[in-house]
Amino acid sequence: MLIQLLTNKYPGMRLWLSQRLSAVMMASYIALLAILLIIQRPTGFEAWHAFVSPIWFKLISLVFFISLFIHAWLGVSDVFKDYIFNKTLRAYLQIIVDILLVIYLVWVSFILWNI
Amino acid sequence: MKFSIYRYNPDTDKKPYMQDYDIELHEEDHMLLDALIRIKEHDDTLSLRKSCREGVCGSDSMNINGKNGLACITKLIDLEQPITLRPMPGLPVIRDLVVDMTQFFEHYNSVKPYLINNDPLPETERLQSPEDRAKLDGMYECILCGACTTSCPSFWWNPDKFVGPAGLLQANRFIMDSRDQATEERLENLEDPYRLYRCHNIMNCVEVCPKKLNPNAAIANIKDLKIERARETKATKKQIAIKSI
Repeated sequence: MLIQLLTNKYPGMRLWLSQRLSAVMMASYIALLAILLIIQRPTGFEAWHAFVSPIWFKLISLVFFISLFIHAWLGVSDVFKDYIFNKTLRAYLQIIVDILLVIYLVWVSFILWNI
Repeated sequence: MKFSIYRYNPDTDKKPYMQDYDIELHEEDHMLLDALIRIKEHDDTLSLRKSCREGVCGSDSMNINGKNGLACITKLIDLEQPITLRPMPGLPVIRDLVVDMTQFFEHYNSVKPYLINNDPLPETERLQSPEDRAKLDGMYECILCGACTTSCPSFWWNPDKFVGPAGLLQANRFIMDSRDQATEERLENLEDPYRLYRCHNIMNCVEVCPKKLNPNAAIANIKDLKIERARETKATKKQIAIKSI
């Protein structure tokens, strides 16, 4: 049902819903992280290393960061739509943001997979 | 009582300016509109719109001490002096406190603010259950004064594209009407990324509405309804598929 609303047929809803869905993903991750930290209470390098090393933790962390970058992309695009009326300038600024977010994603993946 | 009023006559003034007035009010002058009429007795060049004098026609909406409202239902006793009056922001000024509301009404027209029902006309009126009628409460009361739309930053940023709170409130009013048959078309009409989705829940519309309506809730309802409709379409398709088996 939601997938249908994320297609080109619904250009406005797609952006709006993506922003909400990415927010839900981030909130869920933060809640899960808080619960895990309360239960496990890692202290010291070894405990923290063991806490973040499992592959499932790396995967959900990656999903969190992907959601964060989607959320940021949508938010910044909204700001550009509202304030930058020159379409060429807006397109250049959007490209800069796109490149930065891709770099951040690669960087985050690199950090996560080198723990 | 002291006033500072925005003055601009495009025929004679190079740019707008604020004019100060110090007016002796009469005992019966309770509302801001009473004071403005009193000012006009001294200076008849001041232009403003007014009609019903009781908050029904929406003609005398203006920016009062920085907040949009209707002059006729704004009590003078509640206002800090000097009372600063400006035309509603975001719309071209025709003269003094009179703005050109063409853009506002174009958006209003774009949501087709009338009942669309292709069934043959009944002998009497199209009936509604009391429950269905109650769904229109909080929407039909809009007087189209423009206070909400012109206090909305999303409208200031994209006045030609964003329908604005007043237009969207009316869109929701007809979407929620049980007698209307164009719900799908109405929702489709608002699918563009600008027309509905420029609303960022700033809530200025709710803050200023002189009729205490909530356009923000109406906008949220339209978005929720779009999701509900997609869910219903999926369920209907599933039922058809089951039946065909």
